[in-house]
Amino acid sequence: MVPLLGMSGKTYLTLTIAGLAMGMLLFLVASGVSIIFGLMDVLNFAHGALFAWGAYVGFSVFKLLRNWVEAPSVLENFGVFLIAILAAMVAVAVLGIILERVLVRRVYGNHLFQILITFGATIVLVELIRVFWGPNDEVMSVPLTFQGNWDIFDVIIQRYRLICIIIGIILYAVIQLILKKTKLSTIVRAGVENREMVQAMGHNIFLLFTGVFAAGAGLAALGGLAMSIFSLQVYPDMGSTYLLFAFIVVIIGGLGSVTGSLVGALIVGLSYNYVAYLIPWAAAGVNILIMILILLIRPTGLFPAGK
Amino acid sequence: MTEQTPVQIFRSDEKRKQYSSGSFFLRIAILLLFLLVPFLFPSFKTIDLAIKIAIFATLVASFDIMLGYTGILSFGHGMFFGIGAYCVAFLLGKYGSPSYANLILGLLLATMVAIVLALLISFISLRVKAIFFAMVTLALAELAIVLANKLSGFTGGEDGISISLPGIFSVAFNLGEFMGLDVTGRIISYYLILFICLALFLMMIRFTHSPLGRVLQAIRDNEQRAVALGYKTFIFQTISITFGCVLATLTGGLYAMWVGYVNPESSLEVMAIMLNVLLMVIIGGMGTLYGGIVGAAFLLTTQTFLPDLQKLAKDILPQATLLHNVFERWLLLFGILFILVVIFFPKGVIGSAREYIAKRKRTDLASP
Repeated sequence: MVPLLGMSGKTYLTLTIAGLAMGMLLFLVASGVSIIFGLMDVLNFAHGALFAWGAYVGFSVFKLLRNWVEAPSVLENFGVFLIAILAAMVAVAVLGIILERVLVRRVYGNHLFQILITFGATIVLVELIRVFWGPNDEVMSVPLTFQGNWDIFDVIIQRYRLICIIIGIILYAVIQLILKKTKLSTIVRAGVENREMVQAMGHNIFLLFTGVFAAGAGLAALGGLAMSIFSLQVYPDMGSTYLLFAFIVVIIGGLGSVTGSLVGALIVGLSYNYVAYLIPWAAAGVNILIMILILLIRPTGLFPAGK
Repeated sequence: MTEQTPVQIFRSDEKRKQYSSGSFFLRIAILLLFLLVPFLFPSFKTIDLAIKIAIFATLVASFDIMLGYTGILSFGHGMFFGIGAYCVAFLLGKYGSPSYANLILGLLLATMVAIVLALLISFISLRVKAIFFAMVTLALAELAIVLANKLSGFTGGEDGISISLPGIFSVAFNLGEFMGLDVTGRIISYYLILFICLALFLMMIRFTHSPLGRVLQAIRDNEQRAVALGYKTFIFQTISITFGCVLATLTGGLYAMWVGYVNPESSLEVMAIMLNVLLMVIIGGMGTLYGGIVGAAFLLTTQTFLPDLQKLAKDILPQATLLHNVFERWLLLFGILFILVVIFFPKGVIGSAREYIAKRKRTDLASP
């Protein structure tokens, strides 16, 4: 696969698993951007703010149910994890519905105004986080049994990383199933092309648009929660940092393609971890370099959405 | 004499009215106000505010060339501003000495760097879709921040670089008193920067009214039609971007000259500058150039007097904690204002005013 680059096999495996976990987390963030763009032709700059909201809602749930988080029981830990995911996704999906109904609906078909209006929404949403949760960084607690490592033949695997990889795989499968096995994506894409015609065929296109946007927001929340547990902290501006990663991922993978997002996210996650180990100071720039290279060779990304 | 085309008639009409319209006198009045600020309000706070309005108005206008006249949204404008500031700071402070030659050299260096970078960015991101440009510039701006902090040996890191200006622009210089005003190096710098801003602004007006500028507007309004008419849109967009970015670096250089100090917080707080520029251009009006003056004046004045406002709110209504919280989070108010303007007045103050005047003229013609 990838040359070992002078690393020992065990280091290589550990780094690969770390890279895969980071890639899956980035996929959670990027898939929402990609789906909203691929189906609705809307570039959602507020995705980062929704991501941060997801993290903060999860943070609050963990704080409320501290007993469960700190209990040494797998069942209770998973219970609180699922409750946090559910709460974050529902809360942020509601935010997404409001956002779509009030703002984004006015600017369908106009990319420039979509970026402007969702950027404005980002300012407001991030400031609201500061109002509700305070402007400081907070430490995110990790459920007790999620902490620690497994040691398999001297290859050290952090437990939570494995959980991230599994979540990513499940999510990819679910999204592909919905997109490939139902007519939803066809109807929504047709609705972007010709709204009246799709309505005449008996589909409530506005409801579908709202639904897709809410689903994208929910994915952002899931990504935010998972990422905040991974990086052990929440802060109001976290959205802009990871939105950047998401953009790099979707540019590499091809805007609008879910498979492209997965591949792009894994490329970014793996290369970041390898480079951070080999040449620590270059880690921040390597993703952008890869993005520039891919744009030079394939300006539409690796898996351009069929158009 | 040959028959004139409608466009020619329109242009000669425009030319005839150029020096007699109300807006012409308004422009002259604004210019006079800027010229007279040191005499009317000789406090440092107002002079500082006035020159910052001039610098930011120019920066916003250069952003408007790209956003309002070409339809391309860049998140890298703050980065170019920072590059300009650092280029001037390098030659006047860290790697040079304060001399006139170094000042000009610094601005030239800034221009060169901006041209190369702008061409590079356009080449990698414009080939597919204009929206890629927004995403790629966002990524590069973030990279620039990381680099400026990582290469602290080169950029001075978080300590930043102090700059002193050469000769008659230095703080120590004093020419004596003129009409009750103590003419110091600061005042001379004020006028130098003001005149450079004015020159840049006039250049931009000329640029947008040139045939090239009209092609850019055609691309903004309907890219496919412009392509069908035989224009290579990629080249025109690249020219516009390069022009806008070069002007942004120059204003960055001017800003460094005035503030006399460059550090990652003040000059490379790229996203904060970017946010301000976006707010200013939206409030003032996209595609108007003059919107920059309105937007910059509004935003900078509010930000300067915000602490006073907060204090006033606390004095008058000591119980209303909610109000105080909202004032603390003034960005929230600006964000809401931003959204409202984008939705209800997408043309901004200047654009809406122009529309209103045009509408009134039309109704005047309709009802004699």
